[in-house]
Amino acid sequence: MTDSATIEATDAKVDQSRKEAYFTAGQGQLIWARFKRQRAAMIGAAVLILLILSGLFAPFLTPYDPTIQGRNVDYQNGTPNIPKFWDENGFSFRPFIYTFERARSIETNFRWVTKVNRDKRRYVVFFPEGDKYTLFGMTFKTHLFGVDEGKIHLFGTDGTGKDIFSRTFHSINTSLAVGTIGVLLAFVLALIIGGVSGYYGGWVDSILQMVTDAVRTIPAIPLFMAIAAFIPPEISSEGRFFIISIILGFIGWPTLARRVRTHLLTERNQEYVLAAQLCGASSSHIIGRHLLPSFTSYIIVDLIISFPYMVLSETALSFIGLGLKEPVNSLGVMLQNVTKADVLLNYQWNFIPVIFFITLVLAFVFVGDGLRDAADPYADTKK
Amino acid sequence: MFHFLQFAATRAALAVVTLIMVSFIVFSLMELVPGDCAERYLAFKNTQGNQISIADIEAERVRLGLDKPYVIRWGKWIVEAFQGEFGDSCILRVNIAQLLGEKFWISLVICLTSLLVAYLIAIPVGIISATSKSPITNNALRLISYLGLAMPNFLLALMIMLFSTVVFGDSLTGLFSKEFRDAAWSYDRVVDFLSRAWLPVFILGWSATAFAIQTVRALMSDEVGKLYVLAAAARGVTGRRLLWRYPARHSLGPIINSLGFDLNRIFNELPIVALILTLTEAGALLIEALARSNDQQLAGAIIFLLTASIVGINFVTDIILALTDPRVRRSILG
Repeated sequence: MTDSATIEATDAKVDQSRKEAYFTAGQGQLIWARFKRQRAAMIGAAVLILLILSGLFAPFLTPYDPTIQGRNVDYQNGTPNIPKFWDENGFSFRPFIYTFERARSIETNFRWVTKVNRDKRRYVVFFPEGDKYTLFGMTFKTHLFGVDEGKIHLFGTDGTGKDIFSRTFHSINTSLAVGTIGVLLAFVLALIIGGVSGYYGGWVDSILQMVTDAVRTIPAIPLFMAIAAFIPPEISSEGRFFIISIILGFIGWPTLARRVRTHLLTERNQEYVLAAQLCGASSSHIIGRHLLPSFTSYIIVDLIISFPYMVLSETALSFIGLGLKEPVNSLGVMLQNVTKADVLLNYQWNFIPVIFFITLVLAFVFVGDGLRDAADPYADTKK
Repeated sequence: MFHFLQFAATRAALAVVTLIMVSFIVFSLMELVPGDCAERYLAFKNTQGNQISIADIEAERVRLGLDKPYVIRWGKWIVEAFQGEFGDSCILRVNIAQLLGEKFWISLVICLTSLLVAYLIAIPVGIISATSKSPITNNALRLISYLGLAMPNFLLALMIMLFSTVVFGDSLTGLFSKEFRDAAWSYDRVVDFLSRAWLPVFILGWSATAFAIQTVRALMSDEVGKLYVLAAAARGVTGRRLLWRYPARHSLGPIINSLGFDLNRIFNELPIVALILTLTEAGALLIEALARSNDQQLAGAIIFLLTASIVGINFVTDIILALTDPRVRRSILG
C-alpha cells in the first residue's frame, strides 16, 4: 500500500520535473530534443559530420596531391585498385594490390599498354611519408595510407593520371568552402535587405519587394552563367574561387531575404513587441533582444536548407566550364570530361565521385528538413 | 466585369514593369562584359587577314550605335525587345530573332511539357503521400522526392547517358536524327522529334516532379486536418470524392500560383541538360554564347526571353487563379 503510494509519488515527481524541464528549456534544447527523435535526420547528421570531417582532413586521409603534381605518369586512365587479402599466390594479413607495368612492344603494335603483374605485390602501409601538405597552418608529410612501392589508386586515375580518390575528398572541401562563403554572403545581403524591408514596411517594403521579385524571376543559372562569363580568364584559380562564391551569394539572397522579411513582418505586430514598446524599450533593444532571437533558429534552418543548392549550382557551373577551373578540385571540374564517349564507354570509374556528392547533398537535405520540423514549435501539437 | 478588367490591367502593368526591370538588369550585365560588339566583330575580321585600326573600331561603334549614352541604348533595346526584335548577334552576324525563332519555341515546349508531366505525376502521388497512413509508402515517396532534390538533372542526364551507352550502345543524344536536323516540319519530323524529346522532358521533369510532390504533400497535409474536411466527412462524403472535392481544391490555388517559379527552376537546368544531351535549342545557344564566344547580344536576348516567358506564365496563372478561386473572384468582381 505504502509502496505503491511512494511509486506514484515519485512518478508524479518525475513527470513534474519532466514538464518543468520542458517548459524551462531553451529554444536550442527544445529543437535538439525534437531533432533527436527523427531517425532519418539523425542519420543524415552523422553522415554529414563524417563527410565534413573527411573534407577537412582530406590531405591526410588521401594518399596523394590532387593536383597535377601528384599525378601518376605511369598509370593514366587506370582502373581502381582494390586491396586484397588473398589470391592464388596465398594469403596475407597485410592487404595488397598488384603491380601495374606499362610496356610497349611489337606485340602491342608499339602502343603503351598497362599490364597487371599478379606476382609482384604491393603491400598497403599506414602512415607513410608522402606529398607535402598544409593543414591548419602546419606542414605535414604523413598520410593515412599508401603502398610500399609505387602508388595506390582506390578509385582509379583520370586521363592525366591524377588520383580520383584524392581528388574526390579534396573536392568535398571545395564544395563546403564555396557553399559556406556563398551562404554567408547571401545571408548578410538577405538580412540587410529583408530586414529593412520587413522592419520599415510601407513603400520601402513595396519597392524592395518589387526588386527582389524581379531578381527572383530571372532563372538563376543562366544569370549565373552570364555573370561568370565576365571573369577575366587570366585570374588566378584562388581568385576565381572567391569570385564564384561571391556570385553564388549575390544570386542566392532573394529567397532568404523574403523569409527574413516575412518573419519580421509577422513578429513585428506580436503582443510581446507591443508590450516591450509600451515599457519604453528602444527600437534597437526590441530588434536585438526580442525580434532577432525569435527567428534565429528559422534563419539557421533556412541557411542549411539553401546550402546544398549553392553546392549544386557551383557544380553545374564548373561542369559547363564557367565555374572553378583546375587546379582547384570540385565535382564539376572533375566531371568536365566525362561526357566524352570514350570515358562513358571505357573509364566509368570517373563517375565514382558522383556517389559522394549525392550523399553529401542528400545528407544536407535530410538534416535541413529535420531541423525545419524540429524548429517548428507547433510540430508536436499538429499531429 | 469592370473589376475583373481592372484587375487584369493592373496585373499586366505589373508584369510589364517587372519585365522592364529585368531588361535593365540583363542589359546592364551585358554591358559589363569586357569589350563590345564592335571590337568583337573587328577582331573576327582581323583573324581573316584584314588590318584593323582604332578608327575602324570607332566607325563600327558609330554604325552599331554604341557611341550613344547607356540609357538611350537601353531604351532602344527594350522597345525593340517588346517587338520581338533583338538586333544582330555579335559573333554570328545574323538576326537573333531568326536564329532563335524555332529553337526558342522548341525549348519552351520541352520545358512546359516537363512541367505538365511533373504535375500530372505529383498531384496524385502528393495526395497519396499526404493521406496515406502506411509508413512504407510514405518513406519510399519521401526518399524518391529527396533523391530528386539531391540528384541534379545534369547528373541524372549523365547517369542515363552512362547507362544507355553501356547497355544500348547509343547515348540517346540530340533532338533530331541526322536526316531531320535541318528539314522542314513534316509528320515524319514530328515523330522523330517525339522519339527523342522524351529524354530531355524526363530529365527536366525529374527534379521538378520531386519539388512538386513536396509542395502538393505539404499543402495537402495542411488542408486534410482542417475542420471543413471533418465536416464534409461527417456529412458522409468519403474516400476519393472527399479528397478531390475539398482539400485538393483548396491546395490547387497555391500550386497554380507557384507554376511560374517551377518554370524558372526548369529553365535553370535547361542549358546544362542541353549541353550534355547535345540538344540544339535555345539553352545550348545560351551556353555557346556565354561560355565560348562572349556573344552578349545573343545571351541577353535569350535570358530576356526566358524571363519574359516566366513573367507571362505568372500573369496567366494570376488570371486563372482569379477565375477559378471563388475567394479571389469575389474580391475582384465585388
